[in-house]
Amino acid sequence: MIIALGNDHIVTSVKMQISDMLKAMGNEVIDVGTYDNTRTHYPIYGLRVANLVRDGKADYGVVLCGTGVGISTAADKNKGVRAALVNDTTTAKYAKEHLNANVISFGGAVVGEHLAEDIVKTYLAADYKGEDDDLVAKIDALEPDNPEQHDNPHFYDHEMKLWNEGYYHD
Amino acid sequence: MKIALASDKAGFELKEHIKSYLQGEGKGYEVVDLSEKPAADFVDSSVELAHYILDGKADRGVMFDEYGTGSAMASNKIHGMVTANVVEENTAHMTTQHNGAKAIAMGAGIVGPKKAEGIVDSYLGVNYAGGRHQIRLDMLEKLI
Repeated sequence: MIIALGNDHIVTSVKMQISDMLKAMGNEVIDVGTYDNTRTHYPIYGLRVANLVRDGKADYGVVLCGTGVGISTAADKNKGVRAALVNDTTTAKYAKEHLNANVISFGGAVVGEHLAEDIVKTYLAADYKGEDDDLVAKIDALEPDNPEQHDNPHFYDHEMKLWNEGYYHD
Repeated sequence: MKIALASDKAGFELKEHIKSYLQGEGKGYEVVDLSEKPAADFVDSSVELAHYILDGKADRGVMFDEYGTGSAMASNKIHGMVTANVVEENTAHMTTQHNGAKAIAMGAGIVGPKKAEGIVDSYLGVNYAGGRHQIRLDMLEKLI
C-alpha cells in the first residue's frame, strides 16, 4: 500500500517511528513533512496528505500533531477525505470498518509509542464492511467542492507572508 | 457560558449524564439540549450542533455518539467548525487552548461517565490562547 504521512514540528520523531514501521511492513511511504522540529503549522501538512488521498496518489493517510485535533481537522476539510481522530485500536477499527475513513490520526504527544503502532496497524488491517454506504455518503455530501485548496501549493502564501512579517505572535 | 449538547441514540445516556452534571449547583453553565430526543444519527446531531455554535447561539458544544470520531468527522466538514474527538483530559484542555475547539465529541462506548465529567471540566475550564496559534486557525478557516 501507499501511505501518505504528515505531521507538525511537535511530533516529527513519532512520524519517523510510524514511517519506519510502515516501510518494514512493506508499504510505500510518501512523507509530506514536516521533517524537523522547527516551528511550523499543521494545516499545511494535513492539506498535503488530503490532496494525495483525494487524488488517489496514496491509498491512506496518517496525520499527527500534538493532540491530533488540528491536523485531522485540516485533513477532514477536503472533498473525498474522511479523517478519523482516534486514541485506541477499537475506534481505529470502527473508523475503517464503518466510516471508511481514509485518513487516520492520533495525538503524537498523547499516545505512547506501542499504542501508536497498534493504532496504525489495526487501522490498515481493517476493511470497510460496506454496510454503511448511506452514512458515508451523508458525510461526504456535507463537503462542497473546493477547487481553490485542491493541489494548490500557494494556498497558504498569504498566511505565511503575515507570519514572516511577525503579524502572529504570542 | 452557554453550552450546547447534541446526541444520537448511542450517546444519549452519556449526554443525559453530562447534562445533569453541567446543570449541577455551582457550575454556572447555561445548558441547551438540542437532542431531548436522540437524533436519527450522529451526522444529524453533530451538524446541528456545529451550526448552532457557528451561528453564535452557544459558546461551546459537546456532542455524543458511540465512538466520538464520527461526530467529529461529520461536523468538521462544516466550514469554520473545529470539533475535537476527546477521550482524555489533557487533549480536552489543550484543544481549547491551542485549537479554540468549538466543540468536543465523546463516544459513549469509549468514555465512561466519570471520565466524561473530567473531560468536560478540562475542556470548559480554560480559554483559547491565541497568539501563534491563530495562524493555524486562520488556515483552517480558509479550508472549505
